[in-house]
Amino acid sequence: MKTTKLITVIISVTLFTACSSDDDSGNIIEIPQQIVSDKAENIAAPQTGGQGEPTGGEFTKFDFESGSVTTSNTEWDIAFRGTTIAINGGTATGTNDEPERNGNVSVAIVTGTFAEIAKAPAATEFYQDQNQVFAIPTGSGNGWYNYNFMTNTVSPIAGKVFVFRTRNNTYAKIEILSYYKDAPANPDGNIDEARFYTFNYSYNPNPEDTNLD
Amino acid sequence: MNYLIFISIVFCSNLYGQQRISTIKNDSLKAELLDEVIISATRTKRQLSSLPLPVTLIPKKQIIQSGTLRLNEIMNEQTGIISVSDESGFEGIQMQGISSDYILILLDGVPLVGRQSGNLDLSRISVGNIKQIEVIKGPSSSLFGSEALGGVINIITDTPDNSSLKGTISHRHGSLNTQDSNLNFSQVIKKLNYSLFTNRLSSDGYDLFPNTTGQTVEPYENYTLQANTRFNPNEKLSIQSSGRYFHQDQEVSFDNSDQMITGNNKINEWNLQLKADHKISSKLTTQYEFYHTNYLASEKTITSTDNSIFSQNKFDQTLLRPEVRTNYSFSAKNTLTSGIGWNVERLDRTTFDDPVSFDSQYAYLQYDFYPLDNVNIIAGARFDRHSEYQSQFSPKISVKYDITHKISIKTSTGFGFKAPDFRQLYFDFTNSVVGYTVLGYNVAIAKLKELEDLGQITNFEVDINQLQNPLKPESSIGFNLGVSYKTNKLSVDINYFRNEIENLIDTRVIARKNNGQNVFSYTNLNDIFTSGIEFNIQYKPLQNLQILAGYQLLYAKDRDVLKRLENGEVFARNSETLQTFRITKSEYFGLLNRSRHTLNIKAFYDIPSWNTNFNIRANYRSKYGLFNNTDGGNDILDIHDPFVKGYTLVNVSATKKFYNKYSLQLGANNMFDYKDAQNISNLIGRQFYGRIEITF
Repeated sequence: MKTTKLITVIISVTLFTACSSDDDSGNIIEIPQQIVSDKAENIAAPQTGGQGEPTGGEFTKFDFESGSVTTSNTEWDIAFRGTTIAINGGTATGTNDEPERNGNVSVAIVTGTFAEIAKAPAATEFYQDQNQVFAIPTGSGNGWYNYNFMTNTVSPIAGKVFVFRTRNNTYAKIEILSYYKDAPANPDGNIDEARFYTFNYSYNPNPEDTNLD
Repeated sequence: MNYLIFISIVFCSNLYGQQRISTIKNDSLKAELLDEVIISATRTKRQLSSLPLPVTLIPKKQIIQSGTLRLNEIMNEQTGIISVSDESGFEGIQMQGISSDYILILLDGVPLVGRQSGNLDLSRISVGNIKQIEVIKGPSSSLFGSEALGGVINIITDTPDNSSLKGTISHRHGSLNTQDSNLNFSQVIKKLNYSLFTNRLSSDGYDLFPNTTGQTVEPYENYTLQANTRFNPNEKLSIQSSGRYFHQDQEVSFDNSDQMITGNNKINEWNLQLKADHKISSKLTTQYEFYHTNYLASEKTITSTDNSIFSQNKFDQTLLRPEVRTNYSFSAKNTLTSGIGWNVERLDRTTFDDPVSFDSQYAYLQYDFYPLDNVNIIAGARFDRHSEYQSQFSPKISVKYDITHKISIKTSTGFGFKAPDFRQLYFDFTNSVVGYTVLGYNVAIAKLKELEDLGQITNFEVDINQLQNPLKPESSIGFNLGVSYKTNKLSVDINYFRNEIENLIDTRVIARKNNGQNVFSYTNLNDIFTSGIEFNIQYKPLQNLQILAGYQLLYAKDRDVLKRLENGEVFARNSETLQTFRITKSEYFGLLNRSRHTLNIKAFYDIPSWNTNFNIRANYRSKYGLFNNTDGGNDILDIHDPFVKGYTLVNVSATKKFYNKYSLQLGANNMFDYKDAQNISNLIGRQFYGRIEITF
């Protein structure tokens, strides 16, 4: 039943989005009560350094409200650089070139399939970035991905869903699907271009409403 | 009454020991299956079929006829035993699904040292002077202590039995320019006997990836020298000494950031054993044994462009072990065996700050008795006290019940353990290219503080104070239950086994570094089990034909993974649709490098009128996972992950004797040329060889 419901939501939203984009209003979501479910594709997250060198480069920021990448220094929720994910909440971690935290975003890591996470967890499950520690832990097997040294491939850990309390005090969930350009089936870390995020997300635009389904 | 006769036959042969057995062995007219004597199972001579625990014996005849050169080859042809390479390419033996780390390898009853990432490479051992190989499956720490968690392999070398000077000289030439030469001689001079064995093996190696720099296996050359002497001043005393020396030289070459790195790798190994057997009375015998071994591996490589040193490594391990054993026979059937000993181990290694040493004392006791004529019980226990970890007590009990002459039931339950090794306690290694660090458990706190003082640590992942509790030894409980049926022509054994292993030591992240990399250290992490059924048949349908077949069904799983699966915490991603789904228990395949099915069939056929023997041996191993492929979205081996395909290797050989003195052997290994270069680096294609031997 849940899946049917979700599919209906996805279909209706997709249809709706398709229509609304014509009028160039800039605000995709017209009906605030509706939960938005969409897929963000090929979000480029370049990085400098790595391989033992200090990492650097600007983070690519994403805003749930608009459902898109943004260059705004205030209206963003999460940001990507390489395999690192920063959130707009908490304090600076100390890494080079990181964005200033001016929101109150926090994140909870929930185990399950994307569809079955219907509600945001309790407030105690949410964490923010802090000095030296990202709320979504970095490193293989720690946060959102595993690194396979035999195939040189970064693959999202299946069943890890990230629930965010956004800068607007609304809730959103994401599931990362791929780290490679155009989200190929069976990516090859030696061939496919990395640092391109594709993820499913659902966004509930009603503040303080923990429903995600 | 019948039972009595049976038992007394068994017992008599025991008394006559080796001599009597070898006369039976030489009697080629008998179409009967032999019943050899085995010593590792109880540390007394016992008839193979009388033992209440699962034991395999590989006789010299099979080793010679199979045309094998090194120990790993012949072991790989036994039921439930496979020679596997781990993900780093180190080779070792796996038995009942238990990896090489937990299998004790003995040479004439004393342990070999020098393991690479826990694997003891059996290709170090030439089979040229092996009399027989004894394999005890299941935990055997009650007699042998640490490392005998999964079982014991004891390599028994030849002892001279003839008063005239006897010797053999042989040479074998084969594919890959493999040259193997042996020179063996032995003599009994009144109260003194001696034997000398020399072996040289060299090979050009092989390359499965010709487009890359360096070969898969670089050319190598090795020498084995072994000398045994025995002096019997009187009927009651026998003094033995044996020394073995092994030396290997191997080239090294590889590419590092477009620079050619070359060098060589040397192994020097010494084993020295002194033993005195004293028959104090008809009931009491005592053995005094002193053993010293040193394994030294060193590697030096240089960058070819400027001849600067690229890397220099040393691994220098020493073991010193005195042991005293006594056997007391209360009556003909009841024997009490006891022993005390002392192990002093030392390891000096490039990745250690200072040489480290271990010190342990042990004592064991075993009572072997027949409460009824058809029931044999062996009960024993051993206590090990160690300088670096908690003391261990390892009991074991084995029972055999002869229902009829032909059918017996045997069962055994035993404890096993493996002490944390030097690497797990003292390692201090930082990868210069990637930047991660691996620390031994005992040095972790101090090293972390050093790194913290250098400002390299961003945060700790574990409570550092907890690292003060000592690391626990890995331990196991093994259970075996078997039925055997034996007639003159047919012997069938079925054995169920289950090994529960606790506190396996593995690495985990203990801290994060400011270069984004992790600091790893060892900890007691997993509980696993290996369980299955082993099936063995020996059949002599004709006087000159012997067929051996074996099968093992194996389930080897991680308890923590099973728990996660029960809680529904493990998922996978469909690689095409990127859809996530929950993994069920039945989709979990199990531990890496374990094949569900292994099968071997061997046929040996003699044509006495031609003085010729033919044999064909096939070994099958079903699919297995080689490394944790996380590409499917999780870190367990599930049925949706890629597997290394199952395969069969077929080996054949034929031996013909001329004029009783000369023998010619021709053979082919991996006859159907099976290769899987991506996954199996030790699988060479088809190889031919020819060997000539002269006896004098």
